[in-house]
Amino acid sequence: MTAADPSHGLLAGRLLVCLGPGGVGKTTVSAALALGAAMAGRRVDVMTVDPAPRLLDALGLDPVDAAEAREVPLDGLADVADVRDLAGLFNSVDSSTVQDASYVDEASYVDDASNAVELAAAGRARADGGRGGTAGGRRRPARRAGRLRALRLDPKRTFDAIVARHAPSPAAADAIMQNRIYRNLSQALAGVGDYMAMERLLELSEEPATDLVVLDTPPAREALDFLDAPRRLLDLLNSRAVTLLGGGMRRGFSVVDLAARAVLSAFDRLTGLHLLGDVQAFVRSFDGMYAGFADRAARAQRLLIAGDTAVVVVTTAEPERTAQAHEFRAALSAAGIEPRAVIVNRTLPAIASAAQIARAAVSPALRRKLMRAAEDFASLHQREAAAIASLRAGLPAGLKLLAVPDLGREPAELADLARLGRSLAIL
Amino acid sequence: MALARLVLVTGKGGTGKSAVAAALALALARRRPTVLVDLDQRMWAARMLGLESSNNPRDNLRDNWRDNSNDAVPHGNGAAAIAKPDAIANLETISLSAGTELEAFIERIVPIKAIARRMLQSRTFGYVSAALPGLEAFLMLERLRIIAGRAALEDRYAVVDAPATGSAIELLSVPGALKQIAPLGTLNRLAANVESFLADASRFAVILTLTPQELALREALEASDVLRGRLSVSVAAAALNCVPHPLFNKSELDELDAPGAPPEFARLAQWRDGAGRFAARARREASRAGLRVVELPMLFSPAMGRAELEELSRAFDAQLFPPKFGKSAKSGKSGKSGKSATASTSAGSAGPASAAKSTGAARSARSTRSARSETSE
Repeated sequence: MTAADPSHGLLAGRLLVCLGPGGVGKTTVSAALALGAAMAGRRVDVMTVDPAPRLLDALGLDPVDAAEAREVPLDGLADVADVRDLAGLFNSVDSSTVQDASYVDEASYVDDASNAVELAAAGRARADGGRGGTAGGRRRPARRAGRLRALRLDPKRTFDAIVARHAPSPAAADAIMQNRIYRNLSQALAGVGDYMAMERLLELSEEPATDLVVLDTPPAREALDFLDAPRRLLDLLNSRAVTLLGGGMRRGFSVVDLAARAVLSAFDRLTGLHLLGDVQAFVRSFDGMYAGFADRAARAQRLLIAGDTAVVVVTTAEPERTAQAHEFRAALSAAGIEPRAVIVNRTLPAIASAAQIARAAVSPALRRKLMRAAEDFASLHQREAAAIASLRAGLPAGLKLLAVPDLGREPAELADLARLGRSLAIL
Repeated sequence: MALARLVLVTGKGGTGKSAVAAALALALARRRPTVLVDLDQRMWAARMLGLESSNNPRDNLRDNWRDNSNDAVPHGNGAAAIAKPDAIANLETISLSAGTELEAFIERIVPIKAIARRMLQSRTFGYVSAALPGLEAFLMLERLRIIAGRAALEDRYAVVDAPATGSAIELLSVPGALKQIAPLGTLNRLAANVESFLADASRFAVILTLTPQELALREALEASDVLRGRLSVSVAAAALNCVPHPLFNKSELDELDAPGAPPEFARLAQWRDGAGRFAARARREASRAGLRVVELPMLFSPAMGRAELEELSRAFDAQLFPPKFGKSAKSGKSGKSGKSATASTSAGSAGPASAAKSTGAARSARSTRSARSETSE
């Protein structure tokens, strides 16, 4: 295991959160990282909150009903011819970086390529013979092989489950679920999906049979959209908002409050539909549940800033995305969260050089075409290099910049995801 | 088929939405005054065109917006006119955001400016938007409706650089959701108004961007189903972006692929031309789904700037506005390919034919580029 290992530490914690703008392959990168960790012996859950079932496609799961975590069979990966190369990613689990003693004792990890091959080729639940680690050469008991479970977040279902759990009575739960605001709020509206992702995350992370949760996040404009979701929902549900909406001004109201009321009542007049009455009823119906929500939200927030949580920003090398990635990084940093790495997905793969082409045993016409293709490649490479250079310029010196070269096709199977993990490289 | 007054460009992330929107706006601006509308204040489409160079666009936009919103027309084109370029005199860019639309709404309702200001700065403001979910998005669509209305009056076009497919569909679903929250009354009427605007193909249409890749194709086809089915929105075209003009022919590829040949050359050829092969399938499936396919060439250039967008815009122009019969034009061939795709008759015959023709377009586009880059250097 080398210190230069690109994924060092990323997969060693309890939680890995992948943030980034839409369309950068965040889902794919999350799945590849999760797969790498699972093949290294960790028990991994990967959750996507993207409504499109892309991750599940790549993982070969049923896209229709994917809210429940389902195990991904890893044995097929034995067929990946160059599985040995996957070790680059497996090596990420380093006991020295993990404080959690139970993890060090229980979880298995792969120390070198031969173990990786052995694990993958055997495709069985147990492998033996750990080396290194904390116990000064103590030979561990049988190690547990990793497993990977994938699921897709269903915000509506999660929200219903929360309401059912926290509501004081089934009738109260019913009243909430019948509320017009709730019915719309729990489907497509801003922030709720993020909040529900957080809820599920909390559930998964509390499961004793899971070592690592890898979280893909909804495509976001702002990095904090997701991390901030619990606070936003709590803001709506807290008592001050109820006071405001209910019109029963208590002490300490201000001109600002009066103005807010003016807006709200103007809107209510405009609609003439007692919409605010519904909002109020909705908020009130959560009244007794507020404490439970606040508690869960606080735990979720703590989880996100915990020492064994790694946040990575995923991007591609297109200028508009690198600019966004930079914004994300800065916003996270301002919020006290230092991303562990920035991963540039779909970078140009290595390609034949002009010198190689010059030596190629082909007709002059074909050689000219190959040269032309290499020029085209060089043009795009120049574009990419400029984007990456400007990305790097905006990042703190210590922050790792990793590249995932383009496969040249959509990852269609587990082996493709494994290849992506394998190709993770330091830029 | 006439193009809608306002065209919203969306697609899977990474399919070049902003570039396509910018190129479309350029193409349209050659015919009519055109406004390029940005929805996220990042102004990528405008920036690529060199129309926006501020280091901190948000602040500037906000200030501009505020200044304009002080004008006497509270509901007109209150949005900011960012830049009026000399080179593209017909093209105006404006930036909308849900937040600013909501602010405008509040400033309209709270007539005392000082109070409105203070309120906007307070956390209370957050409650308002949280308590009335969908309102911001709705106000933004209402603004698009007004922009389209003005475009019709002034015989202009509007092109919207929208967020990626999922978010765009969420945005376009808002009026329906609001109608359900408010089954009667003014808000219902407003929502119904916006909904009928979205369903009116002469005023509003979507262009879906995709690249010759499996997931992009699938997402475009799914989006098209949702837009046309559930939302009754017209999809003017699928813009198939980044289609490489093939460099290698069949026998050359075979030679490179031959057993014993060094694999790196085959990989290079695959990298260069590979997407072209999938493009044929994408074109076929999109046509079969009843989509008119507009094909845009892959540009192997070291930057994506104004010159590249000009080139894409010419490809757009040739396919959106095919020259009439008997009239010869540079890229006339590919114009017909766009048309034949609309007819979407037997997909089998339409596919390869249009493939061959648009290849011609790509080639002519490429030659103009190299000609230009030679003169510029």
